[in-house]
Amino acid sequence: MRNFIDYLIKNTSSIIYLFLITIALTQIFSRNYYQNSVFNLYFSEITNSFIDEKNNITSYLNLIEENKRLVRENMYLLEESINSNYLSLDSIQKDNFELIPAGIISNSIRFDKNFITLNAGDNDGVEIDDGIITKFGIIGIINKTSDKFSTGISLLNSEIKINAMLKKTNHFGSLFWDGLSHEKVKLTDIPKSANISKGDTIVSGGMSYIFPKNILIGVVDDYSIPESTNYYDITIRLFEDFGAIRNVFVIKNNSFDELKSLIENE
Amino acid sequence: MSNINQLLFFRFLFLSLGQILIFNNFLIFGNNVNIYLIFVLVFPLNFNTSLSYIIVFLFGFILDFFSNSMGIITFSLLISILIQPYILKFVFGNFDINQVRKISEYISKTSLFQKTSYLLIMFISHQLIINFIDIFSFEKLKIIINKTLVSTFISIFFSYIILLIFFRNNER
Repeated sequence: MRNFIDYLIKNTSSIIYLFLITIALTQIFSRNYYQNSVFNLYFSEITNSFIDEKNNITSYLNLIEENKRLVRENMYLLEESINSNYLSLDSIQKDNFELIPAGIISNSIRFDKNFITLNAGDNDGVEIDDGIITKFGIIGIINKTSDKFSTGISLLNSEIKINAMLKKTNHFGSLFWDGLSHEKVKLTDIPKSANISKGDTIVSGGMSYIFPKNILIGVVDDYSIPESTNYYDITIRLFEDFGAIRNVFVIKNNSFDELKSLIENE
Repeated sequence: MSNINQLLFFRFLFLSLGQILIFNNFLIFGNNVNIYLIFVLVFPLNFNTSLSYIIVFLFGFILDFFSNSMGIITFSLLISILIQPYILKFVFGNFDINQVRKISEYISKTSLFQKTSYLLIMFISHQLIINFIDIFSFEKLKIIINKTLVSTFISIFFSYIILLIFFRNNER
């Protein structure tokens, strides 16, 4: 026993090192999808309040940019309100979805698996698996919530795949990020028969419970057909600049549970 | 000793705030500038080992939470602090750690080549670990190497300027 204690005293630093590196590793492995560590939640509540304060101060510096965005957004809204008279069919689908406004308090774009933190949480009605959007694009999906905050998996995360379609022909495929540039994503599984040209608009496909149809995503920047396949390999330039988003909407599908239980029953 | 503690405290504050408030907010060629590694590069040598691990852990932990990276920076900083003495020995030759109080006193007379190779080895190993853990796939080896090299050179450029400005006279 004495030898054992002696051994421990001699190697304190190694033991501490192993302990600390284990904490770091658990942090790394808990960052995927739905796993939560209690430690993480408490600490993030503290740091998030701090970042929120910091953003309150620095947000004044971004007012000009934010104004430009709002003008752009208003323009689209006006356009849509004019067009809405002709699109009354869509309103049936719209009623199913509910929007919750939220601000981004931290957002990374430099890693291969990026995450977003929002200043809306359980108290505001945000739930796991809700979508995050802006007027100009899909931003991500909520994966963790606490009382006042929530985190989401960014579209710029190589583990996420989203259903998207070509607006003019309605051909759909899956959209993912290849980890290279934060302005571009990839779209695959669009068949050869879809007649693609540069500048075509890509919107969300609606084949999921999370996002409704026709949310803007981006335009075709480049495309090719790899040898021995019948599908396009398309690069898309995003409408939304992920480095400069400040305000988003959390989109909630009110029939999510019903749809899920239906699928599970089958 | 209190002098060293003070020095560590100010470096901790200066480098973490600098990284979080300034360098986390922009990208160059799609890569971040990581100046925080300076904290490990100039970490005092004859400091209590256990304590140094704990300080570096806290440093990484704070950076992690403010850069949304959840553990990656902490892990790679811990690896960097572990290999730092060996790389120092490899680059600058053998020396007795107990004799050297600050790294500056030891390497002030060494050549520019030695100093830059010290920076290069430390930064490349650090960035490689970060990118490898983040991407975690051998299929994307090309992206990992590409990202590592670009961010290493950008980070070295900025870190060297900061080292020259702030650490020249008293610390490095």
